[in-house]
Amino acid sequence: MADTVQEFVFNLTFPFTRTLGSTLSTFSSALAQGQIIGVRTGGRVIAPPLEYDPDTSADSGTDWVRVGPKGTVSTWTWVPEPTNLHPLDHAFGFAFITLDGADTPMIHLVDAGSESAMSAGMRVEAKFKAPGDCVGRIDDIIAFVPAADPSLSEGAGEPFEAPEENDITEMDSYCDLTYVDNASPTTTMWAKALMEGRLIGQKCPQCERTIVGPRGMCSVCAIELDESHVIDVADRGVVSNFTIVTPVQYHGQTETEPFVRCSIMLDGANAVIAQQEILDIPASEVHVGMHVECVWAPVGERSVEDIDNRSRGSGGDAIIGWRLTGEPDEPAELYLDRMM
Amino acid sequence: MAPTENDIAIVGFAQTAPDRRTQLTEADLVLHATRAVIADVGIDKSEIGFTVSGSCDYLSGQAFSFVQNTDAYGMVPAINESHVEMDGAWALYEAFVRLLQGDIDVAMAVGVGKNSNSDPSTLFTIEFDPYYLTPLGTDTWSLAALQARALLESGKATERDFAEVVVRNRANAKSNPYAQVSGDFSIDELLAADYVRNPLRLHDLPPTTDQAAAIILARGKRAYDLCDRPAWITGIDHRIEAHLPTVRKDITTSVSTRLAAEGAGAGKGPIEVAEVHAPFGFQELIVAESLGLDASTEINPSGGALASHAVMVAGIIRIGEAANQITKNGKNRTLAHATSGPCLQQNLVCVMEGDQ
Repeated sequence: MADTVQEFVFNLTFPFTRTLGSTLSTFSSALAQGQIIGVRTGGRVIAPPLEYDPDTSADSGTDWVRVGPKGTVSTWTWVPEPTNLHPLDHAFGFAFITLDGADTPMIHLVDAGSESAMSAGMRVEAKFKAPGDCVGRIDDIIAFVPAADPSLSEGAGEPFEAPEENDITEMDSYCDLTYVDNASPTTTMWAKALMEGRLIGQKCPQCERTIVGPRGMCSVCAIELDESHVIDVADRGVVSNFTIVTPVQYHGQTETEPFVRCSIMLDGANAVIAQQEILDIPASEVHVGMHVECVWAPVGERSVEDIDNRSRGSGGDAIIGWRLTGEPDEPAELYLDRMM
Repeated sequence: MAPTENDIAIVGFAQTAPDRRTQLTEADLVLHATRAVIADVGIDKSEIGFTVSGSCDYLSGQAFSFVQNTDAYGMVPAINESHVEMDGAWALYEAFVRLLQGDIDVAMAVGVGKNSNSDPSTLFTIEFDPYYLTPLGTDTWSLAALQARALLESGKATERDFAEVVVRNRANAKSNPYAQVSGDFSIDELLAADYVRNPLRLHDLPPTTDQAAAIILARGKRAYDLCDRPAWITGIDHRIEAHLPTVRKDITTSVSTRLAAEGAGAGKGPIEVAEVHAPFGFQELIVAESLGLDASTEINPSGGALASHAVMVAGIIRIGEAANQITKNGKNRTLAHATSGPCLQQNLVCVMEGDQ
């Protein structure tokens, strides 16, 4: 086991475009115009509006009501050190704010300057982005700020006439999360062997199967395996399965032409090394039963930077691919029914 | 009680040592927990008719991460398996329901969470309402703090009460070999700390933990083959409230906990020990009140979720600890509670009894 544990930092980033449905579209379209609305349902005004009455699950309907822009804080907290996901880069509060004209609170930021300015009962008012920057999302309101004039909001509680068609029916949302994983002992073993130009596995003492790419366990017998069970396995074997991938140009895809990824049953092992590339021949000629051998990257050019716990069994940049040995094919029937 | 074939008991419980930052994978943790509980009960894995786990892809940052975790079950020949994207307590609920079908006698429920890979102050923002909360970066600590402040404003509790919960749980955790956080602290010492999210201080927040736990359940007389004194589940129920905390009528109480406790028959007799899943210490006050517990019930002798809190595991550990009170500690009637979602949105109550 390595003296120091290698860490892998990875980002989970994906953009969504969410459709809003009729209720949220009405809210968003009004919000982009600087008007906050709620919906009257079950005898109370819910703001921001929901499609359904949370008590009865009945359709909330379209009895829209103007609420705010001022409201009253009922409970609050203070964020002294914002994260990258918070809209403000300085200390701020979160609060339940019951907007004038509404019966339920909304959660939003309170930009109050200091924690000591926060209190239950404080009157606050919405501070919007510049009209041109508003997109109908809840963060069009930058934050609520202490109300200069605590009197009730003008027009709050009055009906809101929604347009025939809403301007805004979708919303961009964005997920950006950072993870720091650490290499498990078996991942570290595998990566170290790849750098040395070796493939290793673990042989289960109970079922005597050899699984390529140590996992710390026999996934047939459900028993723990350790370093004493590690063995070298051949860097040659037989293609047991393959697929031809027609690349879709999603973000991060570097392939442009159809390509093969195959599983290889290594000589003497009982589980495949998967997702491997076959060199020198067109995709259309790859078939089950071919004998292949590993083509290692030159010693100075090997890299296992991409090998983490999620990619165990991958050759990383230590293996360039696999090429035909020229031996006669094995019968494909021998490899049917094999998944792993 | 003489068990009928429809009575289901907990006959074994195991957990891994909680770790702030393990080098192991979730599959490794599952293997260690399931191996331990199978050895404890003394069966072969082939005797388990149904296996169900609770875990969360977002904790590991990988889609279908639970599929890798199934390596730890040994699935040749193929097994009957299921998964919930919930705490293992809800996996146990599914195992309970599965056993009620009557065609199998033994089931295993697992919870696993490697929480250290992600940052709890950012990760759980995506758990919340994607339209009204996530764009604001509303984090789980802030939402809990809003609930805590509401509890203070209601006059039902003080910050000293919050600290007392932490002092008591950490002291209890000293005798729990599976505690990550334990020790003797004074209320004044805790109250001197800075706020992380006013009115919550660091000690009010759940610890970050990597852990797994597994429970074996058995149906009818089979339970006696596997355990001298099974913990019979006499009632189990779970209820959920609105996702947006702002549309619940009163977040200083937990309607779903009260209804789940009624559904599980908690009030049909005295509860000697209750294991309450309160990720944030003060939430124990809300849950205990909603469960209808009084001073005659010992709460969280294990130190509760403040002793270790792997998301997806802390709930099933409550059930295991409450079962252990019957199987190993001579208690007759205990209760376990598990929670999920913002501000105690969803709550499960499991009541267990031993033979007398």
